[in-house]
Amino acid sequence: MKVRRVLRIVGLFVAAAMASGLGAQSSPTTVKAVQLTGLPGIKQNAKGKLSVENGNLHFASGRMTSDVSIGSIQDVIAGSDSQKAVGKTIGTISMAAPYGGGRVVSLFRRKIDTLTVEYRDADGGFHGVIFTMPPGDAGAIRKELAIQGAHTALAAEPARDTQTPSGTSPKEQRQ
Amino acid sequence: MRYRASVAVCFCLTVLLLGDLAFCASKEQQKIKTSGIQVAVIQADDLSVPAEFQVALYEDLIRQLEKRGFQHVYRDGDRNAVGVADLVVLHSSVRRFKAGNEMARQVTTVAGATSITVHCQFTDAKGQTLLEKDVVGKVRFFGGNLRATYDFAKKASRIAYESFSPANVRQ
Repeated sequence: MKVRRVLRIVGLFVAAAMASGLGAQSSPTTVKAVQLTGLPGIKQNAKGKLSVENGNLHFASGRMTSDVSIGSIQDVIAGSDSQKAVGKTIGTISMAAPYGGGRVVSLFRRKIDTLTVEYRDADGGFHGVIFTMPPGDAGAIRKELAIQGAHTALAAEPARDTQTPSGTSPKEQRQ
Repeated sequence: MRYRASVAVCFCLTVLLLGDLAFCASKEQQKIKTSGIQVAVIQADDLSVPAEFQVALYEDLIRQLEKRGFQHVYRDGDRNAVGVADLVVLHSSVRRFKAGNEMARQVTTVAGATSITVHCQFTDAKGQTLLEKDVVGKVRFFGGNLRATYDFAKKASRIAYESFSPANVRQ
């Protein structure tokens, strides 16, 4: 009797876990991102939320939204980079600190992911969009796009997604 | 005596003004007339230029050409560009690329500059070369590495503006 009860409880747990797993798969992948350039109708350096839903790559920044049909995407490239940890205005003002003290601020940097999406519009015109986002998110978005049918060079260049062992981006290593 | 001096000054000013107008008119005549300009995708050949640089070069170039007053700027592969008379096509290929380092720039001031040299070739629709030039985009002090693409786009669009005369350009 006890064994049956335990089995029933375990079964319920397993069912609940599977249901939550299925729910997670069907929910759209949403990440915080900054659109550097390329999306029509969205300002440069606009902060917003990037998601893959209903067959579109959807970016929403305030009231402005932009969609790119996944079928029109020609390539998705994920990379890594770093940017200043201290913001633009404060970072620039700090350069005026005496004895070069402001330059210390420049040493603090944070890692970011870059996501470059290449697609063609209805007239066949080529577009390129660049996003930056927290580390790890670009790979997730790229995988999601690939699953939903976007053309990506995922298999051809797996190294472009990964950080080098030293923690620097491939871009920085070339110097 | 005073009257003569003032007449001489007026005469000189008139000659200068007319000379300037004639110079401007001759410069305007040298420009090649075009109804639209098409920007081809940036080629990197054998260089390993990051994808975001290539895309930023392309997008900045289109934006700067539109800012210069070219009202018909067509993207690569745009079907609307097919029937355009006097279409100029801008082909660009990266010749040299130095990634630079923003942190080194800000800490040392003298090191870490980002530099990108792009060969720009303006052709007509048939592929005949109209103008060729190497354009360099740089970031020396402030800004991220991608700012070099903005510098390049400004210079390239200036060359286009000085060499081609769109019918409906904003002066």
